[in-house]
Amino acid sequence: MLRYILSFLRIIATKMLQLLSSRKHLIENVLRIYIKTTSGSTLSIEIDPKYDIKQIKNLVASKIGAQPEELKIIFAGKELGDNIIIEECDLGQQSILHAVKIKRNVPTDQSSSKMKPLCEILDDEMFSSNITNSRSNSFSTDNEVINISNSVMLENSTIRSKKIHFYVYCPTCKDLKQGKLRVRCHFCKSGAFTVHADPQNWIHVLEPKQITGTCENNPELCKDILQNKEPTFAEFYFKCSEHISLGETDQAVPLDLIRPNLKQIQCMACLDTSDTIFAFPCPDDHVMCLDCFKQYCLTKLTERQFWQHPEYGYTLACPTGCPDSFIKEIHHFRLLDDENYNRYHHFAAEEFVLQSNGLLCPQPGCGMGILAEPECTRISCQNCKYVFCRHCRQGFHIGECDVVENNDTAGQNFSCESDMNYNNGNSGELASRTTIKIMTKPCPSCKTPTERDGGCMHMICTRAGCKFHWCWVCQTEWTTECMGDHWFG
Amino acid sequence: MANIAAQRIKREFKEVIKSEEVAKCAIKLELVDNNYTELKGEIAGPPDTPYEGGNFVLEIKVPETYPFNPPKVRFITKIWHPNISSVTGAICLDILKDQWAAAMTLRTVLLSLQALLSAAEPDDPQDAVVARQYKENLDMFKLTARHWTNAYAGGPSVNSECDDKIKRLVDMGIEEHQARVALSSYNWDLERATEQLFS
Ligand SMILES: [Zn+2]
Ligand SMILES: [Zn+2]
Ligand SMILES: [Zn+2]
Ligand SMILES: [Zn+2]
Ligand SMILES: [Zn+2]
Ligand SMILES: [Zn+2]
Ligand SMILES: [Zn+2]
Ligand SMILES: [Zn+2]
Repeated sequence: MLRYILSFLRIIATKMLQLLSSRKHLIENVLRIYIKTTSGSTLSIEIDPKYDIKQIKNLVASKIGAQPEELKIIFAGKELGDNIIIEECDLGQQSILHAVKIKRNVPTDQSSSKMKPLCEILDDEMFSSNITNSRSNSFSTDNEVINISNSVMLENSTIRSKKIHFYVYCPTCKDLKQGKLRVRCHFCKSGAFTVHADPQNWIHVLEPKQITGTCENNPELCKDILQNKEPTFAEFYFKCSEHISLGETDQAVPLDLIRPNLKQIQCMACLDTSDTIFAFPCPDDHVMCLDCFKQYCLTKLTERQFWQHPEYGYTLACPTGCPDSFIKEIHHFRLLDDENYNRYHHFAAEEFVLQSNGLLCPQPGCGMGILAEPECTRISCQNCKYVFCRHCRQGFHIGECDVVENNDTAGQNFSCESDMNYNNGNSGELASRTTIKIMTKPCPSCKTPTERDGGCMHMICTRAGCKFHWCWVCQTEWTTECMGDHWFG
Repeated sequence: MANIAAQRIKREFKEVIKSEEVAKCAIKLELVDNNYTELKGEIAGPPDTPYEGGNFVLEIKVPETYPFNPPKVRFITKIWHPNISSVTGAICLDILKDQWAAAMTLRTVLLSLQALLSAAEPDDPQDAVVARQYKENLDMFKLTARHWTNAYAGGPSVNSECDDKIKRLVDMGIEEHQARVALSSYNWDLERATEQLFS
């Protein structure tokens, strides 16, 4: 009797195990996606990634009361061919496909039946160069031309199998991630949009109105635009490929200067050859590995050598000094950690104030940017309530400033040796405060605190855009007298 | 993060060791510590200059932010040159300041310093006294520079008159280097040097 029960239990156990494993198998292979139709409704469906587009059409057709042949499935700027397997499209959980109802008289031709989403067609080589002049502006709406260009693309994509890598800053993951290229209508922002030609370089992707296409969402609107002789344009955007899409507004910022190292170029700083690089926008293939790029940003940030560019913002150029090599997309600086990215923002704001002829509150720990009338000498800080003199940055006073002399004697009395004595001394806070005061002095031209690291008294302001040559001792412009008198203290 | 500097220096070190300048004994590089933050450089005085035959030792300190910031370089060997401080050995060469670029290396620095020894820039002087002598009395400058090369850098002996004058001051109780500086600054005028030293 006992034996009977035991064997019965064993059978049940194995049955349950089988059930569990098959269920696990099922869960792994379910992809939940959304189908948006032109009528505005959204279907949520669960599919097997092994499904092809034909099966998707059947599924959708039954749900919306249409014939599968009447449907077009659009994803990332392309109408997907019937033979395309979902797996090949790198969809990701909760992606959105667009289903468009059409009256198709002609049976689907060979080329369109193999059409894949853009991400699968483009390759790294096209996007790895710094093309800045070759803008192909061929806006053809002619159907024949489209078909020819499609078949050309197909050949290319079979020859080069290297799939494109896009890098993005993902605001959700708060990190550098791989990205996916997506396409929508420039006018109505609908994803039910197919491109007439594939983008060939970063300009096509990043700059507006480069590639034309057909919007399936609002044919009336598009017709109007066409009648106004303005073609319908594609708008490209990016999604993070490492978190489940949070909907259509979940976007990532493309970091176009981060690329796979196809040419195996050495990092100019550490001389290593890494797989992913930061390519400076200069023609000489100056690249850095990502660690060195971060260190470069950090170093330049600390020295305030970022440049306030009128168009791009607070940015850096190629460290080799190549002309016109400023980084356009300032989100590249998101590679800095949070603390330093905040510092970046802070310095950028300060730089903006300085360039607008404003000044910064001199109180330690405040540094508030203040814009005041140029003739006003009594400046009061809104933030910490400190009231100070515009010229000497000391507490407000009537009459001549006398602080320059004070600083002067401090500079003359303390050579490098006595600075060190102060550091080693044990007289506590007062000594260290004095040391700090002596070790940094404001640049006489722009007032940015500057540190002297030994060597001569000839200072060059490190703040980008200033570069004022000044004397540590006199705290005025560097002269031949300074040279003869107190060059080395 | 600081390991970028160390990694880079490690590679540069290998590069210099294998370079043809090292083979020709024109430059030399040695490690001072094991973490690649301090090195000792050496450059040979270029031919047809007052520095010929001398070997000049340099202190090279690598900042944590290398190669985005230049190395800090200073002459350890005392030298008489308009662009190098005769007191501290400090150099205010542009590539060691604002003209530094991340693509430059320790080899570039050593070769640039060697070039500086061949071609002084008295209009952008680092040592005002030396620069004045260079501009006003080039022969006197050459004599002095050669004398310093002999005294501190192992160069050939050239002028026994200088040595005699120094000996006179040393006999009066002046420290040898101090005597040399005073004489050099006053174009080897023993009287004026003495006057300055005892004033
Ligand atoms: Zn993400
Ligand atoms: Zn549209
Ligand atoms: Zn690197
Ligand atoms: Zn460059
Ligand atoms: Zn304040
Ligand atoms: Zn004042
Ligand atoms: Zn300044
Ligand atoms: Zn001065």
